[in-house]
Amino acid sequence: MIKLIKIPSNYLSKLVTIIMIILFISIIFTVSHVNAQSQEAISTISCQYKGGSLVVIHWGDPKSFNPDSQVDDALFIIASQIFNKLINLDVNYNIIPELATSWEVSANASIFTFHLAHNVTWHDGYPFTSKDVRYTLESIKNYKGVMYGFLKMDSLVSVQTPDNYTIVVKYSQPFPAFLGFLAWYGTFILPEHIFNKTQYKDWMDPSIPALTKPIGTGPFKFVEYVKGSHVVLEANNDYFKGKPCINRVTFQIIPDPTAALQAFLAGQGDLLNNRPPTTEIPKINSTPGVIVQMRPVPSRWYIAYNLLNPLLSNLKMRLAIAYAINRTELVQKAESGYGFVARGMYPPAIQWAFNPNVILPEYNPAKADALLDELGYKKGSDGYRYAPDGTKLTLRFTIFQGAEAEAIATIIKEQLRKVGIDVKVEVLEIAAWENKVVKQRDFDLAMLDGFQGPDPDNMRSRFGPGAYLNMANYSNPVFGDLLNKAASEPDPQKRKELYWKAQEIMANDLPYLPLVDLVAFFIYRTEWHGFYWQLPGIAGLNVLERVWWEKGTPVTTTTISIPTQSTSVTPSQVQQGISTTMIIAVVGVIIIVAIILLIIRRRGS
Amino acid sequence: MGLEKYIAERIIQAFFVIIAVIIINFIIVSAAPGDPIQFIAGDIAINSPEFATYLRHKWGLDRPLYERIFTYIFNIFQGDLGYSYRYLQPVSQLILERLPVTLLLMITSNVLAFIIGILLGLYSARKNGSFVDTSITSLNFLFWSTPSFLLGIILMMIFGVNLKIFPVAGLIDVRNPKEGFWLYLDIVYHSVLPIITLTLITMPLYFKVVRDTVIQQSVEEYAYMYRAIGFNESKIYKKVFRNAILPPVTLFAIHIGFAVAGAALIENVFGWPGVGRLLLDAISARDYPIIMGIYLFISITVVLANLIVDILYAYLDPRIRLQKIS
Repeated sequence: MIKLIKIPSNYLSKLVTIIMIILFISIIFTVSHVNAQSQEAISTISCQYKGGSLVVIHWGDPKSFNPDSQVDDALFIIASQIFNKLINLDVNYNIIPELATSWEVSANASIFTFHLAHNVTWHDGYPFTSKDVRYTLESIKNYKGVMYGFLKMDSLVSVQTPDNYTIVVKYSQPFPAFLGFLAWYGTFILPEHIFNKTQYKDWMDPSIPALTKPIGTGPFKFVEYVKGSHVVLEANNDYFKGKPCINRVTFQIIPDPTAALQAFLAGQGDLLNNRPPTTEIPKINSTPGVIVQMRPVPSRWYIAYNLLNPLLSNLKMRLAIAYAINRTELVQKAESGYGFVARGMYPPAIQWAFNPNVILPEYNPAKADALLDELGYKKGSDGYRYAPDGTKLTLRFTIFQGAEAEAIATIIKEQLRKVGIDVKVEVLEIAAWENKVVKQRDFDLAMLDGFQGPDPDNMRSRFGPGAYLNMANYSNPVFGDLLNKAASEPDPQKRKELYWKAQEIMANDLPYLPLVDLVAFFIYRTEWHGFYWQLPGIAGLNVLERVWWEKGTPVTTTTISIPTQSTSVTPSQVQQGISTTMIIAVVGVIIIVAIILLIIRRRGS
Repeated sequence: MGLEKYIAERIIQAFFVIIAVIIINFIIVSAAPGDPIQFIAGDIAINSPEFATYLRHKWGLDRPLYERIFTYIFNIFQGDLGYSYRYLQPVSQLILERLPVTLLLMITSNVLAFIIGILLGLYSARKNGSFVDTSITSLNFLFWSTPSFLLGIILMMIFGVNLKIFPVAGLIDVRNPKEGFWLYLDIVYHSVLPIITLTLITMPLYFKVVRDTVIQQSVEEYAYMYRAIGFNESKIYKKVFRNAILPPVTLFAIHIGFAVAGAALIENVFGWPGVGRLLLDAISARDYPIIMGIYLFISITVVLANLIVDILYAYLDPRIRLQKIS
């Protein structure tokens, strides 16, 4: 009964061989399938030199250690070392992976699926999972985090966690700008196991220990914070991208820009994170051992015309003012040449969204004079223009305190005087300025700067009808429509066309006049390398995880090469890791089967 | 007997002045537009409604006015000056944390300014009209008119950047943090430039007052009498000194009373974490609880400083305590 069909032993061995081959091939396919999924995996940190303690001269005290609850610019660079976001922006404002190694966007851009890195632990040893991401996003919604509006939390339907390493974010309408805003600000992932306890009223409850001793997943762990003086962080040896090359990062807080610069030059600091007056840049550049690098940033100084003012509601008046302003002179005198004449209606630094065909009025005082004459303002004997009824043409120019703003305003006042417009510059303290200009809209001309990235949807918050910052009271329904459509258009090409059209319309209406495009300065000592501006596509903004010190101990082990400047992430190393394991497993299986074969053969003969 | 009674009277007076200051503070808080909770805990009402309710109850904001005054005074005397939502800490704790640093700067610089100012003033008055006198007076005038932060930056550039004798800024050396005794030494080392700046700013006041008092006293009748009797100049000056010491002591008390916020600009420039810096940050962030808390603290310290000085005065100048009795 047992051996009804007698299979000869050579047939048996052939059968086993065939099965082995099929097994082998299927394993290879599995390996390549796994590789394809992780093709956006992150390059691990590798160091040429180990050791070193970086000192950053910083400009201000953090308000708390919850980076998502309120606007806290002083905390941002510190939080970027302690925490991670799901995705991050690199120095060119392109999106790069962080805790999310890959992601998919649904066809209508309303569902976002993120695949999370596996070997991540919190600084207290607890494992990181999708629960932490869900807690963070839901808290931004429930506790009105700083990104509540930008992340359109009103339209958030659900955040689901199908497993420990997958997170699905569903919106009720298309939201193509979601990834850009998620990578930007106030979206650091917080530890659910510490924050989510019933005895806490919310995520800023004073009894939460993590608010004074933060726990994150980032490259550096919190050590101490002496208020007003310094913050000390030390390397996280279990960081999921690999151990950082340096041991410590210390932020020394010196608010006064001159004192900060002097402290840096005297050797007290290695990286200067307190923007010095632009007049000092040549001197800093020529200091031995110090490097100054510049990069254009999507931030610009621009004038707002109060369109509700009868004088300024006339486009010809706005054009006249625009023709009278010499933007080149502004860059040279107010920024000491460190800046660019503003082009177009959106900063060129966000390249895909910037419409280069939109030309702003050029510097042409003759045209300005002609337009003002046409409007009926004749030049009096004192050089200023007067209306037919005898009133002087006077405009208030309301700005907030600061050396740059005041310098620009002084120059513009002089430039407008030349065409006969009397400008009264009003300098207010920033909170008072916000109250008067933004809230009460009590001004004629106002000027401000500000970050307009990472996504052109930022335009809606600055210039859109009904927006809080739309102090000019600009309300063109076609413009508003275009911005709304672009905000929910999933096709990137169509989005770009909509934003380009919106810029054209805004240039024709001229409610705002861009003046100067800003640059960011990176000021640091030559012995330090691996900063994020040197590693586009790899390191996120402000993240110091890959910094190394050339005076550290050299690392003697070879093989792994340092990821260089090439475009995107290099998956080769991670792929190598996975296939090596699989090949070992396959070889093991082959050896076992071969042994079984030999035994059968022995028995057979 | 007269002295004890005088002291007792002054203490009772000081107590009532403090109560009056607290009540004035309370009126300001209640009369200002907006919800009074913003002066007690900032924007907390928007972000954490339950905690806000708890604080409203603690400060009696839901009770009638007369009850509120007593709750307010009661809380202040318990040391509760309000709560800062930005820092998630009680205001009194924030102030006390930073007080040692500020006191180090202010008391040291005031004592040095007091001593140096008086010595220079006496010397200058002795040599009244000479070249030495004129040059010392001009130098003091120069320091008096220089803004504190400008002088701080100048000293920072000369001694910190160019001569490299002292550190440029900061409380401690963050590159090589020290422990224990060496940590205190490090802090003292970092405090030299701020203290020198503050001393140079404060000294001219003492100098001028002492110099003028001495010059004025030395032409008083009793000085002529001493000269007529035949005392030599230095003995006369000792007597004059006894009289001249009173105005600088008053000045010292006033300065110490304002010590808490007096070094604000210096703390900002040198990056020192003191109470003045806390006040400046709070003002630009509109953190009302901290602002009100610090102002109240200053008011109380000024009253106490004046009390101490009045007692000292009574001891030094018999005329004052004797006046009270008759």
